[in-house]
Amino acid sequence: MKSVRWALPFLALLCLLSLLLGTSGFGVPMPVILWQLRLPRTLLALLVGGGLGISGAALQGALRNPLADPGLLGISGMAALGAVIAFYWGLAAGFAPALPLFGLLGAGLGAAALLLFAGRAPTGPALILAGIGLSAAAAALLAFALALAPNTYALAELTFWLLGGVADRTLADCLLAAPPILLGMLVLLRLGPNLDALTLGEETASTLGVPVASTLRLVALGTALAAGAAAALTGGVGFVGLIVPNLLRGWMGERPGTLLLPSLILGAALLLASDLLVRLSVLVLPLHAEPPLGVLTALIGAPFLVVIARRWGQ
Amino acid sequence: MKRAALAFLLLLLTRPQAEASLRVVSLNLCTDQMLLLLAPGAAVGLSPLARDPSLSAMASEAAHVPLVAPSAEMVLRLHPDLVLTEPYGATATVAALHALGLKVVVLDDPTNFPQIRATIITLATLLDARARGAALIAAMDRTLAGLEHPADPRTAIVLEPRGLTAGPHSLAGSVLAAAGYRDAARSVWISLEGLIAHPPDLLVLPEAPGFPSLATRLLDDPALAVIARRPVPASWMICGTPFAAAAAQMIDR
Amino acid sequence: MGTVIGVTNLSLRLGGRSVLDRVDFSPARGQLTALAGPNGAGKSTLLKALCGLLPGLPQSDPRRVAYLAQGARASWGLTVEEIVSLGRIPHGDRAREPVARALALCGLAALAGQRIDRLSGGEARRAMLARVFATEPEAMLLDEPTADLDPAAAFAIMRILQETARAGRTVIVVLHAIELALRYADRLVVMDRGRIIGDGTPLTVLPAAASAFGLKFGQDGLPHLLPE
Repeated sequence: MKSVRWALPFLALLCLLSLLLGTSGFGVPMPVILWQLRLPRTLLALLVGGGLGISGAALQGALRNPLADPGLLGISGMAALGAVIAFYWGLAAGFAPALPLFGLLGAGLGAAALLLFAGRAPTGPALILAGIGLSAAAAALLAFALALAPNTYALAELTFWLLGGVADRTLADCLLAAPPILLGMLVLLRLGPNLDALTLGEETASTLGVPVASTLRLVALGTALAAGAAAALTGGVGFVGLIVPNLLRGWMGERPGTLLLPSLILGAALLLASDLLVRLSVLVLPLHAEPPLGVLTALIGAPFLVVIARRWGQ
Repeated sequence: MKRAALAFLLLLLTRPQAEASLRVVSLNLCTDQMLLLLAPGAAVGLSPLARDPSLSAMASEAAHVPLVAPSAEMVLRLHPDLVLTEPYGATATVAALHALGLKVVVLDDPTNFPQIRATIITLATLLDARARGAALIAAMDRTLAGLEHPADPRTAIVLEPRGLTAGPHSLAGSVLAAAGYRDAARSVWISLEGLIAHPPDLLVLPEAPGFPSLATRLLDDPALAVIARRPVPASWMICGTPFAAAAAQMIDR
Repeated sequence: MGTVIGVTNLSLRLGGRSVLDRVDFSPARGQLTALAGPNGAGKSTLLKALCGLLPGLPQSDPRRVAYLAQGARASWGLTVEEIVSLGRIPHGDRAREPVARALALCGLAALAGQRIDRLSGGEARRAMLARVFATEPEAMLLDEPTADLDPAAAFAIMRILQETARAGRTVIVVLHAIELALRYADRLVVMDRGRIIGDGTPLTVLPAAASAFGLKFGQDGLPHLLPE
């Protein structure tokens, strides 16, 4: 049984680099920059990456589909919508935590709507269909909100926010993100054996004594907490939840339960590494502003998807 | 033509530099220009758009001031006493700087001349440049007083690329009113059909060197050839600054 | 929750159709019971009713009743050993002896580390069967465990099931192939259109079975098609 213990020193190294690297250069910075800007940024990247990683692994296990991604359930879209509404109505200008708080509200409403649509006894396909519907609704409303943007600065800022990032987040943002993300992780970590049983199908799993409907509900809840809070605070960072479990599956075996914790760790490492690349690119390329984190994860993620696809083809 | 603009620039040359010990960073195109007008010596950082002549009327004056990206780290390294910006554009950065105890002032962009005056007074007080602020307002008021206000104003539309107009309650509307015209734009977008069916008496076209002028393609239609046109520097119509008065003057001739 | 629940006078309608019609069935310990009949007879439905998979019926104890679905397959490429250890989930333990015993019983000891999606049809089916054994249930309900298998593989599975039944367990198998029932079952229950039309030893029930499939035995003892 391969373990991920070896990954922890690597993660520690990434954290160290993250404290030393920033848009103002490489090296030990002013204390206020170190503790109030770089530390929260590092913590948030770890929380968000870990939350997305484990959500992806749990969803793929529950839906028996290696293409499932936390965004599939539409909750990240609703979180983004909540944040955009706060932004658009200028609530964020008066009270900074309004943005993530409205994002969390959006995620909560999305989760409630999802479970309502999926019915009293959700099955995998029901959940997917409900999620797609919710995603589509959120995307349409987001486009509408962009069209109503008060001015071009707002439009540009909204667009960039939706592409995802952890820049200029404070300790207050981490305090808002940590409880729902950590809770979501805890909910999902305990579902290992249930997800293993689902390998044999929902019917057989239920004869093994696994409560299938409540397992699916808990997966939706855990994803809503972890991925929803992640989206509320950092916008649309994608690909992590999709790629990380697939990478690990090729290396650690395909039992869904064994992939949960490693996906959390690798997701955290991957997102932090991507954010380091974001900061590095500002230092070495003539850019006016940091490229959005979601763009980096997509650029890194796309080749990995090709590798995974080729592996399936064999 | 650029009489009003010259008047403002003369102020910069004849008056001594403002408070050199105050360190101010601007994160927004509009506050960039106001900062350079009121207290150019205090500017230690401007937004990345500050040196773009198609956007900023003070582009050349921004040449000696460093540009700073909207990043809390970059701003902190300049050790500013004051950060100026407008809503949107750097919300997370502003929140972070605020949380770190910096003095951040977020001003709404003025869309009419009374608001421009109020903004000048507010900024002049913050920047300890009251005298300069008063002089700017006086110059602006002189320019505006010299403009005609016919009893039955003709109609005009400010036409931006792709058929966009600035909309009824915007800076463009105020500029047209000051120039003695009635803003005929009823909504934010106008079609070719709309222009032909209800042609205004004057088309005001913001333009700049190197700016993509898609608006002119719209206007190449022969049906619109009869409408009078007046080009205006684009940078005078973007932000609520005293340069808007210069724009009104240019339209009024 | 008890062991295998028998059903008494069970009628069930699904989608407007009568799927089970006044069915009485109680399983027998130490016997291999075969459920046979043409398509749509209600065999799978009866099996699901017995282990509590149908809404409205009590769920059986997962530690004592194990179920193998028709055409069961694994969604992921787990190893044979991982698949078989899923059978311990109802007990909530990671006991290795039951898993090892199940692997040995199904002749899979050598394949324990192989991925199930790389095995032949017969081997994969045996792995699924071994998962049922790993639970060490009192009753095993299997829906067409020999479907799509070549005769040798089918016989091997039926032999294992027969020995298991003889050792004292309750084994109920839905079968399509009558000849397997004749050879291995102690009791044959024939269903047609939701009703049980024969219940007894295979030989005594055979004529009823034949007519359910549209066959009758002629004077020479060979099956003929029933006349229109």
